[in-house]
Parts: sequence; C-alpha cells; structure tokens
Amino acid sequence: MPKIELSEARVAELKQKIEKSKEIFKMAYDRFEVKDQRMVWSAGKDSTLMLWICKQFCEENNLPMPICFTIDEFDVFEEIDAMLKIYAEKWDLRLDWGINIDVVEASGWELNADVTVSDLTKENQAEIDRIGFGELERFPFEAESFIGNHLMKSVVVNKYIQDHDVKAFYQGLRWDEQPTRSDDPYFEDVAADEYTPEQTRYRPILHFSERDLWETTLYFDIPYCSLYEQGYRSLGAKTTSLKLDDKKAWDQDLENTIERAGRRQDKEAAMERLRQLGYM
Amino acid sequence: MARKQKNVILLTIDTLRKDVIGCYGMGESYTPFLDSIQDKCVRFNNCQSVGPYTQASFPGILTSSYYFEFGREKQISSKRTVISEVVKNGGFTTAGFHSNPFLSAFFGWNRGWNTFYDSMMDQVTDHAPYILGDVINSKVDSWVNKHTSSEDYTPFFLWAHYMDVHEPYVPKQEYIARIDPELKITDDEMFQLFKDVVLPRDTSDPAKNELLKKLYLAHVLEVDEYAKQFFENLEKSGVLKDTIVIITSDHGDEFGDHGSLSHDGRMYDELINVPLMIYDADQTENQVSDTVVSGVDIPPTIAKTFELSSPDSYCGQPLLPLESYSSNGSFGEAMGKLQHKIKPTDRPAYFYQEENLRISYRIEDEKWEMFDLQADPAEKENIVESSGSASDMKEKLKAQMHVVAFD
Repeated sequence: MPKIELSEARVAELKQKIEKSKEIFKMAYDRFEVKDQRMVWSAGKDSTLMLWICKQFCEENNLPMPICFTIDEFDVFEEIDAMLKIYAEKWDLRLDWGINIDVVEASGWELNADVTVSDLTKENQAEIDRIGFGELERFPFEAESFIGNHLMKSVVVNKYIQDHDVKAFYQGLRWDEQPTRSDDPYFEDVAADEYTPEQTRYRPILHFSERDLWETTLYFDIPYCSLYEQGYRSLGAKTTSLKLDDKKAWDQDLENTIERAGRRQDKEAAMERLRQLGYM
Repeated sequence: MARKQKNVILLTIDTLRKDVIGCYGMGESYTPFLDSIQDKCVRFNNCQSVGPYTQASFPGILTSSYYFEFGREKQISSKRTVISEVVKNGGFTTAGFHSNPFLSAFFGWNRGWNTFYDSMMDQVTDHAPYILGDVINSKVDSWVNKHTSSEDYTPFFLWAHYMDVHEPYVPKQEYIARIDPELKITDDEMFQLFKDVVLPRDTSDPAKNELLKKLYLAHVLEVDEYAKQFFENLEKSGVLKDTIVIITSDHGDEFGDHGSLSHDGRMYDELINVPLMIYDADQTENQVSDTVVSGVDIPPTIAKTFELSSPDSYCGQPLLPLESYSSNGSFGEAMGKLQHKIKPTDRPAYFYQEENLRISYRIEDEKWEMFDLQADPAEKENIVESSGSASDMKEKLKAQMHVVAFD
C-alpha cells in the first residue's frame, strides 16, 4: 500500500519522469566507465531520489552502481548521518566521505570557535585568499558561512575530484529549487581550471519539482530522512537549517512558499556582498 | 517580418548620474554610445527616482510603489507586485540578470521570473564585489539566443542591471587613461580611497573628491561600452528590431555636491534626478519630454506594452504615448541616513517635486528645504521660507508621505 494516493494519470506522469532520469544515466554510462563516475549523496531528499533511480537503472541493465561521495561539514544532523550509514550498507554502496579536517582541527573540534588562519595548511590559506579574505587573521568556524561553505564544501569536492580523477559527477539539483537553477542543463562539460580537472556534470532529476519529488518518494516508498516529517523542507548544516513550519514537508504549501527559506546560505551570500560594498 | 508583440528590456544602471550622459546637455559626455542611439529614443529630461539608494528606489522601478508603503520590510512585501509577476502571469516569458545584493532572492526580488540570476553564489573580489557588465551581457546574450531560437518564441520581458559604476571605484586602467592620461594610480590605492575617504564620507580634501569623480567617470565610460555591447548582441541575435529597451538608473552619486560622498538618504538632484530613455527601433526621430515623471511609471509602461492591465497597487501611469501622460508631480522617500549603514536613530526623509520646484523634509532634524531647480540647479539657496509656493508644496508632500514606526 503506497504512502500516498495518486490518480493513475499522475502515477504514469511520475513514472515518465523517472524514465527521463534514467535516460540521463544511460548517457553517462555510455560515455564514462563506472570507475570514473561519482554520485554526490547527502541523504537529503534530492540526492536520495537520484540515487534510488540510479539503483533502478543499474538493476534493470545489470550495471554496477557508481561510488557515492558525501561531504562531512562537521555540522551534521544525527538523522542524516544515520541514514547515510544505514542505506550505504543496505544498498551495498561504496560511500566515500570527504572532510576538510585541517579546518576542524584548527577550530579545536568546536563549532563557532575561532579558527586562526595561520594555523591552517598553505592550501587552505590560499583558498581563503582566493575568495577575497586574504587579510583575515581569524574567522569563526561555521559550516555555512561564506568562508565555511567554501572551505568545508567547495574545497572538499574539488580536492576529491582531483585526487580520484573523477570524470563524471552526478548532482541531485532541480530546476525549481531556486530560480538561479532554472537554466541548468542535464549535463555540462566543465573545463579544467587551476583547481579541478576537466569533468562532466550530470543532473538527472532536474525536471522533478518539489511536489513531483515528494509524490514519487512517497508513492514508490523511497527512503527519506525523518527530519522532513518534522517540517524541514531543505537540509543543510544542522545549526543553520531552520524549519518554518511543523507540518510534514510534503503537506506544506510547496507551490507558494520558498523551499530554501530555511537555509542560511543565501542570506550569508547576500550579507557578504553587502559587507564588500561597505553596507555592513 | 516584424513580430506583432514586442519584447521589452529594462536596462538599469546602478548609481549612474544623469549629468554625465552627453545627450542631456548638462556637461561633458562620458556616454558616446547612449548619445548615439538618441534618434531612436524618447528621452525624459525630468525623471525622479523614488529614492536615493537601491533599496528605496527599486520598489518604484520594479513594483510601482514606494519604499515605506508597506512599513519596514525584511523582504519585499507580498502586497507589492513585481512587474515580472504581471508579465509572467500574462503568459509571457520573464528573465532577470543582475548582481546587486539588495535585489537578491534573499530579499524576495526573485518573484515572477522564469529565469533569475542574482550572482550571489558566484565569486567576486573586494575591488569589484559584483559581476561585471560584460559577464551580465554574455549571460543575457546566451539566454536571448536560446529563448529566441525558434521563430515563434514567446515574447519576453528581460531585466538586466549593471553594477559597475557603483563604489568601490576601481576602474580598469584603460578607462582611467581616457579620463586623464596623466593620472597614475594602482588598484590598491583606489581601493584604499574607498576605505579611507568614501566610507567615512570624508570630503575635507577637495583634491580627493575630484580624484574619486575621475575614477567614477572612468567607470561610466566602461558601462557605456557594456551598453554598446548589449545592443550589438541584440542586433546580432536579430531581436533588437522587435524589442523596446527602457534605460534608466536607480539613483545618482555625490562627489561633494552637497558636502558628502556616495549616495545616502538625501533628496538632491545628483541622487534623485535620473536618466530615463525608451529605445524603439521603429522610432523615426528623437522625442523629448520635459514633464516631471517618476520611477513608479516604469512598471505600468511595461505592462501596457504587453497590453496587460496594471494591478491596483501600482502608483504610476504609462509613460507612453507622451500626450496621454498627466503629471502629478513626483514623490520619493528613504531613510534619511547620512552614512553607509542605517543607524537606529535615523528617520525617514521625503521629497515632492512639481515642475521646477522640489521640496524635501527630514524627520530627524525636522528640516524643510525647497529649491527652484531652474533658477538654482545646484540647489544652494533654500527658498522654503521665502517662496509663496512653500505651504502648498508642504501639503502635497505630507499627503503622500508614509509614516513608519520605529522601535
């Protein structure tokens, strides 16, 4: 018995969306060996749907699953951590963990503690300089501040791609997630730069709206993190993800409220720009 | 073959003073390109922004409403209707491209756009903490080419905004050389001026005011080049002939004109009186309007071009055709701040303008000022005590001002 009742037409529509995603996986598998592919899996709703569809695709075509990669920002919900571990085992996945341990150590393993820039490795110092904070002596350790986000996410991903010579990368992004994504293509060849080798990014679930995602997840009994039942719509770092409503994520007014309103990252980015313009 | 429904592009240039644009005839020209398209433009010689800085002026340009109309907001009120919402709901396609944090998704300005780029997740530098105009151009260009790749594309409304003129004034050397070939200054020295002089609003050294103005003008030359490239791209894509382009600025900038720098909550000409021109390839000669018009008139003008009606919340009226416009004077409001940041003690300031008279009122010091802009364009002689029109102007200002509560 599915967790949600849907009309036959709607189920057919969702199945079509799943098939569309499989086509993207097929394109990637036709072009790249599985050892060169990686899937970013955060155990959030988007990447879990992507992973589930990939699993269907691989089973149907008798193909091995790509290695999954998750970023430990050191500010993680226990529920997310548990989900990663449980399903990695249940689905027999190889799951690589990436963390910028240098920053964590410099913070004394404590969120919001001050990190002294000179305590960091040369590489991390260069990264801070690169995003325009060359003069900074210390900063508070927060996963989703402008600096934190760069060091704990972008740097970790870039390093992982480089170290493992990753050629194809799956991202669980959706067009309706934020308007800035509405033009993202299903796949994109990204040229090499100073920090990352050449790679192709695949985005197999772009066409799922938030509503599509929840109906698919509930109807096909795809696992999801229990935090969504408590009202979270979008999960980032633990201390900066907010729930604006106590209703289950899928019972909220998905069409007229903002999915990422509970994420502090957008605020941080805007505030950082205002600071640079002298307004803060 | 000409298309039946024209596209509309709104090109806004942050912090662009009107008197640096040659075709306004107020001084030397730093905008050869904008001057060169005048024979296809209707030019408004007397347009007032509804506020002297971005947060106060853009409610006019994009929502035809005033800054304090809905109290003090963290995000733009749902009672405001962004012009993108009107056009999108009317069945057309909308796209916005800019790099101003005050207009980012975080503050709610992403409403109504099919495509919205605010650059907040992209990397910028301290010397230019925004995405440069040529990058905005290339994003617009690729969107336009993709959107119009088929003959029967849906007509679109596109908004593009340049930040390049805004401080910190660290223009490229090639533009500085065009302003003053003798001037030698490094990027770091320019940035230091921003920190040491612009941010503290230190006007004590006239030589520095003049230097800052030169750097600003270099940026104006740069942005004029971007505008040129913008039009060339539209021409290449074959859409310019089917597109109306509205060009304006959200506010000007001050270089000691009234004893300060940058753009704070004051209602003088160098901040409030903005350029506005409407380009239409079908226009056969330059047309000029001297009527007092306002930033709030822009959204109704856009709606009308798409044959859509304006929502009740819109305060302005369509600018075209010129003969149907009846001026009600112009009004604006902002926090009367005198520095970059808003202080808890800051209170609103307001202005009202009719023909050549502008009156302003600052709540904080209960100060009224009125100037005859024709007789005294530099706004040096306050005539609020002497003019027979003052009491009538005061009443008209009071009738429009929105009073906001403070903690």
